[in-house]
Amino acid sequence: MADNNTFDAIVVGSGISGGWAAKELTERGLNVVMLERGYDIKHGKDYEASNKPVWEYPHRGGRTQEMIADYPRLKRDYPLNERNLHYWASDKDNPYAETKRFDWFRGYHVGGRSLMWGRQSYRWCEEDFLANAKDGIAIDWPIRYKDLEEWYTYVEKFAGIQGSYEKLPQLPDSHFLPAMELNVVEKDVAAKIKAHYNNKRTLIIGRTAHITGPLGHSPQRTNCQYRDMCWNGCPFGAYFSTQSSTLPAAMATGKLTLGINSIVKEIIYDKETKKAKGVRVIDAETMQTKEYFSKIVFLCASALNSAWVLMNSATDIWPDGLGSSSGELGHNVMDHHFRVGASGEVEGYDDKYYFGHRPTGFYIPRFRNFGGDKRDYLRGFGYQGGASRNGWGREVAELSIGAELKDALSEPGGWRIGSTAFGETLPYHDNKITLDKTMKDKWGLPVLNFDVEFKENEKKMRVDMKADMKEMLEIAGVKNVREYDNDNAPGMGIHEMGVARMGRDPKTSVLNANNQVWDCKNVFVTDGACMTSASCVNPSLTYMALTARAAAFAVDELKKMNV
Amino acid sequence: MDRRELLKMIAAATGGVVIGGEFFLAGCKNPDAGVGVSSTFTESDIAFLDEVAETIFPKTSTPGAKDAKVGQFMTVMVNDCYDQKQQEAFHAGMKSLNEACKTKHGHDFMKATPEQRKEMLVALDKERSEYQKTKKKEDPNHYFQAFKQLTIMGYFTSKEGRTGATRYEPVPGKYIGDFDYKKGDKIITSLT
Repeated sequence: MADNNTFDAIVVGSGISGGWAAKELTERGLNVVMLERGYDIKHGKDYEASNKPVWEYPHRGGRTQEMIADYPRLKRDYPLNERNLHYWASDKDNPYAETKRFDWFRGYHVGGRSLMWGRQSYRWCEEDFLANAKDGIAIDWPIRYKDLEEWYTYVEKFAGIQGSYEKLPQLPDSHFLPAMELNVVEKDVAAKIKAHYNNKRTLIIGRTAHITGPLGHSPQRTNCQYRDMCWNGCPFGAYFSTQSSTLPAAMATGKLTLGINSIVKEIIYDKETKKAKGVRVIDAETMQTKEYFSKIVFLCASALNSAWVLMNSATDIWPDGLGSSSGELGHNVMDHHFRVGASGEVEGYDDKYYFGHRPTGFYIPRFRNFGGDKRDYLRGFGYQGGASRNGWGREVAELSIGAELKDALSEPGGWRIGSTAFGETLPYHDNKITLDKTMKDKWGLPVLNFDVEFKENEKKMRVDMKADMKEMLEIAGVKNVREYDNDNAPGMGIHEMGVARMGRDPKTSVLNANNQVWDCKNVFVTDGACMTSASCVNPSLTYMALTARAAAFAVDELKKMNV
Repeated sequence: MDRRELLKMIAAATGGVVIGGEFFLAGCKNPDAGVGVSSTFTESDIAFLDEVAETIFPKTSTPGAKDAKVGQFMTVMVNDCYDQKQQEAFHAGMKSLNEACKTKHGHDFMKATPEQRKEMLVALDKERSEYQKTKKKEDPNHYFQAFKQLTIMGYFTSKEGRTGATRYEPVPGKYIGDFDYKKGDKIITSLT
């Protein structure tokens, strides 16, 4: 039995990766404390807005001038809104410095961004793990697809991923629950694309972490009800979050302690043993410092914050922090670049509609620089989009005002289809975060300074990201197709990766093939920080698999007295 | 990225949506505008806006804008969400419409008949439409753009409008991707 500050393992962070670490480590017999810097959100009970209709919001879900003033970073994109504002971290309490613009949208509460994530869930493919070595970019991954394959299956069976079996080399199938349905227009466009490109391009249902069938191990979760209210927290537990899925499992072991308001400011490093002894925490409410001790530490604080903790640790030995001996800690910041694509109008189907508010759309897996295709840039992109009938917000040019307009807008308009690409970003050493020399947060702690930009490879890719969608829509008979490129700042994808990368050599990487810090083997980093390249698919499922794999390894090593 | 927000972004970028798009990006265009400026709407202003909104969306077999308290809603949105310039333009627009009514009919807009009101607003909407087509990107919107958009949005996001004029399905429980539709069937709406 653990006393109040000594445990077998400490997990820093309670988001997707932290929740998985807590579940796996407790189920494998360890006494664990999971430290979360923010407040608690209890499943169901604390999802205040999960059944709240739009008319109960004074601004109907939008943003006020006061909110804009209070959130100078969050205002840059859609997260600043009235519906789930309390799920987004305060910019005032948690400022950061920008040598170059970086949009950092954070969730500081139990569950982290697992409550607000897009839920898109895709496996990486063999090619993704080989890409750096093939292209001579950065460093090689120390693992291959086959190292992760069983762990993908393992986490998918527990988390619940809906999708369709497609047997695509660039997008391996998961262990799926029944797939959500493409609508009638999407199915037609899919068939036309498939025929024209001779199966080289496919439009499939977006794979997501939603329950569409029973999960025997999680009876507390219910099938998706098609309300599309996900990001307020789902009272049905229909989508995977820490609260709906991993936290109940970890709690059921009786071996998990949850510490809220616990800002881990550093790892306590023991020079003699060359191991971490625990972590030093500031209580976010009382400002008191507290120490926790453990045999192993799992850093799952979100990519950039995990690097931040390392940067603040063992600075008497390594001035740039624990794990900095390679010179790569804080470098190679990656995100996906997107907000570019095309959309257009679909003629006909006036006698067709859809029922229910589906929380996913379609996905078009990567086809560029794959399977013999060769472009003037490296890597590729996939598309997320959807077809729908226009709603009441549409322009009705032929009607002015009056009953006719009201009646027209009370009925659905014509069909549209559109999408945005999500492109792979390369790991560049000079895309980096550092501790800012002057700025401090609400607790007097140093903050990050961002120096990150997209470069030529991404810019070249965007030309195809736009043009390919236009071409596919036109081939499918879509009318008035318009391309767009809304540009984007790094960070907007909310897929931060790469700042403590895995590798084969301690001279060029921060972590080894089992997510252990080379310089401190009982510290594991399993969130986005560990990624050696970015792929073009959404990363969360891979964090789940890497975390479960590292946790199993860590417990084995503990048993063997190796850590 | 949240799914629904992603679709809004695509639609806004390519002209699929008039209201969602602009509302979604509200504030982005003027990130450093002042905060907490005037809240100078009076009860009679709300009554005036109610009549404007009711003329845009009159009560028929389905509720009208007044039933949905759109006038009140407009003042909340203008006070809280508009920057100072947009607020001034909105107030000036109210005044301008009332003056035009006095010039044309010899009395305030509030005293105008429903027919007079409709005739004025149809003309104003035409003026808006032409102005919006030819204006430079950086020029402000025609004030009637705000009147009209806030009316439509206020109505369809109100309890009365959504439950009275659309097929409101807060908990569909299933998804049917090939669902028969016939002219006259209402739009299917959600909690959001």
